[in-house]
Amino acid sequence: MNTAPSIPGLWCHDMIGSVVFYLLAAATLTATLLCITRTSPVHAVIYLVHAFFDLALIFYLFGAPLVAAWEMIIYAGAIMVLFLFIIMMLELSPGGKPLTVDRRRWIPVLILSLVTLGCTVLLIIQDPSSAGSGTAYHASPRDFGTALFDHYALAVQVVSFQLLFAAVGAYYVGKGEPRKRGEQPS
Amino acid sequence: MTWLDVLALAPVLVLVIGATTLLMAGAWYHETRPLIAGGIAVALVAAVTAGVAPPSPMEIAGLFSSAPFARYFAILWSLVAALILMLSLRYASEREFAAGEYVALVLFSAAGMALLSGATSLVGLFLSLESFTLALYILVSFHRNNNQGAEAGLKYLVLGAVATGFMAFGIALIYAASGTFHLPEALNGLQVGGHLRPWGLLGWGLALVAIGFKISLVPFHLWTPDVYQGAPAPVTALLATGSKGAVGAALVMVLASAPGAWQELVPLLWVLALLTMLVGSLCALPQENLKRLLAYSSVVHMGYLLTALLPGSPEGYSAVVFYLTVYTAASLGAFAVITSLSNAHGEPQKLAAWHGLGYRYPVRGAVLATCLLSLAGMPLTGGFIGKFVLFHAAIKGGFTGLAVVAILASLVSFAYYLRVVMVLYSSDEPAPALHPGTSLEHAVLLVCVSAILLLGLYPAPLLDLIATLIP
Repeated sequence: MNTAPSIPGLWCHDMIGSVVFYLLAAATLTATLLCITRTSPVHAVIYLVHAFFDLALIFYLFGAPLVAAWEMIIYAGAIMVLFLFIIMMLELSPGGKPLTVDRRRWIPVLILSLVTLGCTVLLIIQDPSSAGSGTAYHASPRDFGTALFDHYALAVQVVSFQLLFAAVGAYYVGKGEPRKRGEQPS
Repeated sequence: MTWLDVLALAPVLVLVIGATTLLMAGAWYHETRPLIAGGIAVALVAAVTAGVAPPSPMEIAGLFSSAPFARYFAILWSLVAALILMLSLRYASEREFAAGEYVALVLFSAAGMALLSGATSLVGLFLSLESFTLALYILVSFHRNNNQGAEAGLKYLVLGAVATGFMAFGIALIYAASGTFHLPEALNGLQVGGHLRPWGLLGWGLALVAIGFKISLVPFHLWTPDVYQGAPAPVTALLATGSKGAVGAALVMVLASAPGAWQELVPLLWVLALLTMLVGSLCALPQENLKRLLAYSSVVHMGYLLTALLPGSPEGYSAVVFYLTVYTAASLGAFAVITSLSNAHGEPQKLAAWHGLGYRYPVRGAVLATCLLSLAGMPLTGGFIGKFVLFHAAIKGGFTGLAVVAILASLVSFAYYLRVVMVLYSSDEPAPALHPGTSLEHAVLLVCVSAILLLGLYPAPLLDLIATLIP
C-alpha cells in the first residue's frame, strides 16, 4: 500500500531515526500498558508521565518540536502533576495498607527511564529531524498562533464555552449538599 | 470572523449568550421560575432568529454551514429546548435544581445540537458533538439526591469518554490519510481508484463506533436503557430527541457531502441497521419500565433511520429529516407525559403504576397513547407517514431486504407499544393519584400532539420544504 508519502514525516528514512522511533514506540506502549494495570494510582501516574515523555520524543523525531514541547509542558507537566497532587490529596492508596519497599518494583521504571534517556541523548547528538526533509512541516509558535486564532478562532470559542460549562457542571455535581431527612425523591 | 459570519451564527449566538447570561444571573438570583422563563424566552428567540436571519451562502470559518438545512435543525432544537424548559419548571423546583446552571446547560446543549446539524468539517463535527454531550453528562446526573441519576451520569460519562476517544482517533486517521478536515475533501481523499484506502476504512470504522454510541446502534447501545431510566425525565426527553436527532442530521450532512465515497461501508451499515432493529425490538418486548421501553424503542428507531440513509439518495435523506421531526414530537410527548405525572416523590416509571391512568387522567392518557401509536407507525399519525417515506426510500434505493425487516420490526413494535396503551385503559381498581399537571406541561403536550396529528394528516408542506433543504 502506497500510503506512506501522504503522512508527512512519519517515517524517517535514516537508520537511527527508525531505530529510535521503534524503541520509543515500544516504550510508550509498555508504559501505557503498565499504567492501566497498576493498582496503585501513584504508580500508574508515573508510568503515564513516562508514556508522555516518550510520546514527546516521538513528536520531536517527526519534526514537530513545538508539539513535543507542549506534550512535556501541558500533559507531562501541568496535567499529570495535577493528577498526582489530587491523588495524594485524596490518599487513594489501594486498601490503605502501607507501601512496602520492593526493589523489583523499580525494574520497569528504570528500564523505561534508561530507554527514554538514551533516546534523548541520541536525538540530541544525531537530530534526525533536522537532517531529513521534515523542515517543511516545522511550525513556529507564530504560525500556530495565527492558525489557531485566525482560521480556527470559532473552534477556540466553542472549546472555551465547553470548558466553561464543564467547570460549572463539575462544580455543581461535586458540590456537596446536605441530604434532606426522610425523603429521597427519584 | 466577519459581520456576515456573526449574522450566520446568530441563532447559536443567541442560545450561547442567553445561556451565559442566565448562568451569571443564577449565581446571585436563585428563583427557579424567572430563570426558567428566561431560558424559554431565549430558546424561542433563537428559534425565531434561525427562521428570520438570512442564511449565509458561505461556511462559517470553514467549520459550520448556515444553509437552510442547518437552519431547519437550529429551529427544531431551539424549540425542543424551549419545550423541555417548559416541562422542567415544576420538575426542577420540586427537586431544588440549581435553576441557573440547569437552564444554561439545556440552552448550551441546544446550541451544540444546532451547530452539529450543520457541521461541514470534522473539527466542527467533533467540537459540536462534544459540546452537547458534555452538557448532557451533567444534566443526566443533575438530581444530586438521586443515586440512580448519579449512576446513570457516571455510566454515560465513562462510556461517552471512550466513544469520544474513538471519534478523535478516527478523525485523526481520516486526516492523516486525506490531509484535510473539510468534509467533502476529507472523505473523497480516502478514495484511491474507487476503493477506500485502509487508513480511511480504519478511520471510518472508529468514527462509526463513536456515532453508533451516540445514537445507540446495536453493539454500542448498552448504556441507553440505564441512562434513560436514571436521568430526570425532561433530560431523558432531550437525550432521546435532540442528542440523537442532531447526530442523525450530522450523518445526513456527512453522507450527502461525499456521495459515492462511502460505498464500501454499505455492508457494514447494513449489518448495523439489521442488528439494531432486531435486538432493539426483542429487548423492548419484555420491558416493565416505561423509560427503559422507550429507550429500546429509540434504539429501533435509529435502525429505521439507518435503513433510509443507506441508499444515499436525496429521497432517503429527506425521509430521514422528516422522520426525525416526527420522532422528536412523539418521543418528547411521551416523556412529557411521564414528567407531568411525576411529583416530588418520583416519576411513575413501572408499568404496574400505570394501570387505569387513562381513565383517571384522560387527557394525558390519550396523549401518551397517541405518541406511542405514532412511534409504532399507526395511520393518521405522523409516525405512519414518516415510516412510509423511510421504507419507500429504502425500497427504491434497492434495500428491499432491510426494508422488509424494518416493516416486521414496526409490526413487532405494535406489540410493546400497545401493551402500554392496554395497561393505561385496563384496571379494576382506581388508579393511584399522581400529579394533576400544570398548564405549562399541558401546553407542551398540546404542541406535541398537534404536531403528530398535523404531520399525519397533512404532511405535504413539510415534506416539500424538507426536499428543498437537503444539501
